[in-house]
Amino acid sequence: MKILIIEDEHTLTDSIVDYLHEEGHICEAVYTYNNAIEKIEIYDYDCIVVDINLPDGNGLDIIRQIKKNAQSLGIIIISARNSLENKIEGLEIGADNYLTKPFHLAELNAHLKSINRRIKFNGNEHLIFNEIKIFPNEHLVFVNEKEIKLTKKEYELLIFFISNKNKVITKSGLAEHLWGDFMDTADSFDFIYTHIKNLRSKLIKEGCEDYIKTVHGVGYKFYIS
Amino acid sequence: MKLLTKTSLNYLSVTLFVFLFSTIAFYYLLRHQVNQNINIELEKRKNNIVNQLLSAHESNATPTNQNEKVVITPLNQIVSPQLSFYDTIIFEHNEKKYIPFRQLGFVTNFNNSAYYIQIYKSLEETDNLIIRIFFIMTILVVSIIIILLITVRHTSLKAWSVFYDTIKKINNYDINSHHDFSLQQSEVKEFDDLNRVLKSMTERIEKDFSNMKEYTENASHELQTPLAIINSKMELLLQSQNLDEKQMNAIADAYNASNRLSKLNKTLLLLAKIENRQFPESKLINHILLIENQLESLEDLIESKRIKVIKRFDNNVSIHMNPYLAEILLANLIKNAIRHNLQNGDLIIDVAHDRISISNTGNELKISKELLFERFHKQSSSPESLGLGLAIVQKICEIYSFKVDYNFENNIHTFSINMNKK
Repeated sequence: MKILIIEDEHTLTDSIVDYLHEEGHICEAVYTYNNAIEKIEIYDYDCIVVDINLPDGNGLDIIRQIKKNAQSLGIIIISARNSLENKIEGLEIGADNYLTKPFHLAELNAHLKSINRRIKFNGNEHLIFNEIKIFPNEHLVFVNEKEIKLTKKEYELLIFFISNKNKVITKSGLAEHLWGDFMDTADSFDFIYTHIKNLRSKLIKEGCEDYIKTVHGVGYKFYIS
Repeated sequence: MKLLTKTSLNYLSVTLFVFLFSTIAFYYLLRHQVNQNINIELEKRKNNIVNQLLSAHESNATPTNQNEKVVITPLNQIVSPQLSFYDTIIFEHNEKKYIPFRQLGFVTNFNNSAYYIQIYKSLEETDNLIIRIFFIMTILVVSIIIILLITVRHTSLKAWSVFYDTIKKINNYDINSHHDFSLQQSEVKEFDDLNRVLKSMTERIEKDFSNMKEYTENASHELQTPLAIINSKMELLLQSQNLDEKQMNAIADAYNASNRLSKLNKTLLLLAKIENRQFPESKLINHILLIENQLESLEDLIESKRIKVIKRFDNNVSIHMNPYLAEILLANLIKNAIRHNLQNGDLIIDVAHDRISISNTGNELKISKELLFERFHKQSSSPESLGLGLAIVQKICEIYSFKVDYNFENNIHTFSINMNKK
């Protein structure tokens, strides 16, 4: 995908660009509101990642401008402010997601993958990874053409892994993806272990290879050589 | 007691005292004055009679009116004449009753003989007169007292009304409601001063409060950005291929610590915001629905620990709360109940019409009951547990005046929230 990153904190922007570049996306970065407006007028993007607090303007206005231009692209808001009003406003004016800083790059990546699928398949989304086939709109998972039943959390875990394949995903990244921003999600790490164990066994039972590798002390990796 | 009552009572007791005193004094003065007048009148009549006697013969006509009556008796017939004013009661034939009279008796010479003469004046009318005058005076004075009292009270009330209005407004003052805090003007300088000072004080408080709110939000914002940078760099580092296990662990530890910092920051900010009543929105909450959502979100864990969930929903609690806080409140309690539960344990959730209680089987507490809700005291030995979950529960209950209780009996921990505000 062609992605425009609008964030005034350079080091953060660099990290995001690096990560997404690894994933095969084409990334551009701007650091101010005015530059952002310029870019979206001239070029077409598949998706933008926009920070609300820019030095010379409000990221939400960029979104409004995009909507006014009737441009259709994925919009992900990133913001340090965790206020409910901002979230609601952002989603109401047409953003696809609202991520609060600090967020896990894997999380951002997963959302981008989801937007990508939507753009590419436009209703017929499907994920194919070797013997695993997923139809996100119907929440159907097939291994070797046979349907397997996953719980909601196991399903979300699988999609997250596949979206971030070959990337080390930390336990906290997984925890936040599954249970969101709730304070004090302690011992969720033990919870995660349980989920992964269950997911693994369900996949392997149907003849799936064991792609989920434990990275000791850190997290997990959905590994394909 | 109220100032008005105090001054009124003072005023009343003083005036009553003065009133009693002066009434009695007035009565005696009046009586004395009247007696004086009567005496003077009798004296005059005496002089008249003496003059008349000197110039005329004794009258044979019997005066019908006792007032005109003159009783003349030769002196030698009387042993000890009363030579002065004398009060007596005489049976008046016309009126057929006893009437008080004042009598003046004197001796005079007439035709070379000494005679004892008695003249009379009826006291009946003057007595009536005195009583009437007395009555009128009393009524007048009492009226004056009452009118003055009413006037004083009315003036006071008007003057003090501004003060009472100020007190009511201070009572209703809520820093979060953003209502204009305006006080009435008063003609009384002291109240005007008071109101001015109060207004400037509240303005200062509001400014400080809004600064603090801004600060807490900005502090969070400022902290989160560098944390975001740290996290993103760490996450990138972790993807490096040529790290050995030790290096990986080091990075992971740093990353986890940074995450904890970020969570801690968010949680403390939440606590501060709750304390500052920054969640004023209030809606009717469907607590049962929230509980069901939580249970669904955590169903995998419940299943993996083989926890039996027992739901006793009698009827829903109808309470108005901020929906975000309601969710956090229930989520924290349910998560705790799962986390500290035993394998194959029970999770019991009771919802009655104003009480919610969440119980779980578990081991005894390692920390004392009193410290349970204190920040950073944790039952869980996991370093990831912030120990703030129950502090948040308590804070939310505090601002809604809910009572939260903990009980441990028969190896069952029970947290109950009583939402009955009485």
